[in-house]
Amino acid sequence: MSEQLPEVLESVFREIPNLVFEAQAPRRLRVKLRADVLPALLELLKGRAGYLHLSAISCVDWPALDEFELVYHLWSYEVKTLVSAHIHIPKQPGHYVSVYDIYTPAAFFERDIHEMFGVYFEGSPSMEPFILTEWSGPPPMLKSFSTLGYVEDTFGWQDYSPEWLKEIEAKGGGIVE
Amino acid sequence: MTTATTIPIKSDDPNTEFACRTIDKKERSLLRIVIDRVADRCRSRSLFILHYCTGCGAIELPPTITSRFDAERLGIQPMVTPRQADILLITGYLSIKTLKRVILSYEQMQGPKYVIGMGSCTINGGMYWHSYATIKRLLEYLPVDMYMAGCMPRPEAILQGFLQLIDNIDKGRANTWEDYYRNYDYYLGNQQALFGPDWHTPTDVIAEARHYNLFDDNTVGEHTALLAKFASEYVTQPIPVKVLPREEIVE
Repeated sequence: MSEQLPEVLESVFREIPNLVFEAQAPRRLRVKLRADVLPALLELLKGRAGYLHLSAISCVDWPALDEFELVYHLWSYEVKTLVSAHIHIPKQPGHYVSVYDIYTPAAFFERDIHEMFGVYFEGSPSMEPFILTEWSGPPPMLKSFSTLGYVEDTFGWQDYSPEWLKEIEAKGGGIVE
Repeated sequence: MTTATTIPIKSDDPNTEFACRTIDKKERSLLRIVIDRVADRCRSRSLFILHYCTGCGAIELPPTITSRFDAERLGIQPMVTPRQADILLITGYLSIKTLKRVILSYEQMQGPKYVIGMGSCTINGGMYWHSYATIKRLLEYLPVDMYMAGCMPRPEAILQGFLQLIDNIDKGRANTWEDYYRNYDYYLGNQQALFGPDWHTPTDVIAEARHYNLFDDNTVGEHTALLAKFASEYVTQPIPVKVLPREEIVE
């Protein structure tokens, strides 16, 4: 364990099996752990180290691994160190447990991730459409979703060729594709 | 009102037994032309903008309407409600979700009304061309009087656009709001393609078209036929079914 690691964090990390961490910067820790022990880590961080603030949950789609990476960003006003907990979950079926019972703001992030990536969080209070209320297609932030293909299927294009542009095109210039 | 009553489209056609020629709907008497000319002149000198500022172009409006560029010397000033506004100024991109609100605001405005698409996003999507969530061409959903290209247009360009619009209104050329009533079926069809077949607004546009005497061949069609099914609580008059001429009916 690193010397700069605060004692309270060291005691928390000792309790979690197979936990790997790396200091990316002073006061910024990247933690990798198994998906099933993440709620335990959050409980310990909140209970012992004063990690009261869940800043965000982010999601990354890894098509080559066929996995989603979920990142929980946590901040403590006592330890003053940002902990980013990284877990990987399989894309099929793409289910994970909600941490709403530990951090209530998680409901907001989980609903957003469900909408954008299709990850279902069991125990989250609402999995209803949130921002994309008019959306009926696949989750749009997936790497497999072709935004350009969708745009070309859904929307039209209007040509614009005014006289002044034709003069420029005659000289070899014009719109760059 | 599920059973739509059949009303002939051209119900106001003159009775040819008595009339010696078919009267063109757009034909106006000399007095009417003079009154319209005066009204257009007055109208162009006092315009209220409803600025729909969900896009990034909103940042160019404060300098345009305040002391530096001072749009009020052209008679243009912001207005807070759609019902009192003349110009609907769309500043930048519109997502599919905000387009719904724009259409609701637009239909609340009283004619004559003018739509300005400000910024490149309203023309072709601009830098949001690859976005799944933003619409690309505003004129598919609303009739647009004027575009101000640019990303973003500077206040000088906006004032130039305002002057052009004032000139268009003065000369009686800014008539695209009538197009919304005349081709309501086309606009409604494009809106339904985005929002689903049950899309409807609380405004009975077809009844308004009759009120403005702008009911035309393309006001109703296959898309407005869906309104009878989904929007029956808002429809004040039976929606006419388009009667095809005899040779167009496919047996």
